[in-house]
Amino acid sequence: MNWNDYEAIWKRQALPAGAAADVTELRHSFETKRRKLAATLLVRDWVEASAGLLGAIAFAFIWWLQGKSGWPIAGAILLILGVTAVFIRERIRAHRLRLGADAPLLAKLDADLAELHHQRRLLLSVWKWYLAPCGAAIVIVSLTISLHRPAWDLARDGRFLGVYFACTAGMMWVVWLLNRQAVRKQLDPRVEELEKLRRDLLSTS
Amino acid sequence: MSTTPDHVARFQSWLEEHRGIVVKVARSFAPVSADAADLQQEMLLQLWTSLASYAGQAKPSTWIYRVCLNTALTWRRGTARRENRLERGADLEAIAAGAGSPADHAGDGEVLDQLYAAIHALPMFDRALVLLALDGLAYREIAEITGLTENHVGVSLTRARKRLAELMKGAIDELE
Repeated sequence: MNWNDYEAIWKRQALPAGAAADVTELRHSFETKRRKLAATLLVRDWVEASAGLLGAIAFAFIWWLQGKSGWPIAGAILLILGVTAVFIRERIRAHRLRLGADAPLLAKLDADLAELHHQRRLLLSVWKWYLAPCGAAIVIVSLTISLHRPAWDLARDGRFLGVYFACTAGMMWVVWLLNRQAVRKQLDPRVEELEKLRRDLLSTS
Repeated sequence: MSTTPDHVARFQSWLEEHRGIVVKVARSFAPVSADAADLQQEMLLQLWTSLASYAGQAKPSTWIYRVCLNTALTWRRGTARRENRLERGADLEAIAAGAGSPADHAGDGEVLDQLYAAIHALPMFDRALVLLALDGLAYREIAEITGLTENHVGVSLTRARKRLAELMKGAIDELE
């Protein structure tokens, strides 16, 4: 048997008839899935954006409670809003640059790879754009509160502050580890897989 | 995304005309019929959601091939572990036996099953190229779908056909 025989057998294969009968059900099922996906994405975007906004509101409230002496909290608010801005910028970027499933295979592969590399860079530098600003904001707010408490208050106690900041640093370290783990276990294997696909596609040997 | 009557009518008419593409791509990328059904659903969903962005630059069949092949490549990535296990544990004949549909067994059924199994044993992009070539697409159309140059398609397809022939030779020998 040769290629022509395979081609002939391929073209003679029995395929299902037209889909007129099930298109209504398909459409209903797809619309439901699409709406669910859109709702999930909307909730995720709002949670990410509103978490920073709520943090900023909470800090503003603490500033109000502290009075004029709470002015350093303005810096913490700016840092938290900066983190929120990064999230919003990333969402806008993802929506703008997303390549549809109808793109040529090589272009789609390149776009997927570029997006994965971008996500990888973002997760590996999470300390820079997320952990450091959030940590600094927590330190600013905590010290501002602490310094304006009476000397006998627990919030002025050096040991208490030490444990509190150690716990905060530990939490940040766990977040950093989780991000590293996500890169190693999820992104790196996918990058490797896509790069292998790309090499296969462009290989002529 | 718009869901106008025009959108629905286009989806329905394209599905009637080109359902075969969806079925063939699904069977080539998912050897087990349950997986092929899942993949078909995924491809139909992608076709439905991508339809709004169809701008008419490509022929409907070219556009459908692109969506289906992009979906199949992504889908496999998600189920790679399961498929690797399957590939390691089963030989070509066993894969083909799981994939056959009753209609295929009327005439060329066994050879067709072997052909699908051999296609599935090819590397991912060779699989896509062979599928497009078997469907009778010209190099220019394959280049349009893959994003490669026509020369590149020609060279890669020669290599893929050679691999397919080797796989089929072994399978046909087993049949005889």
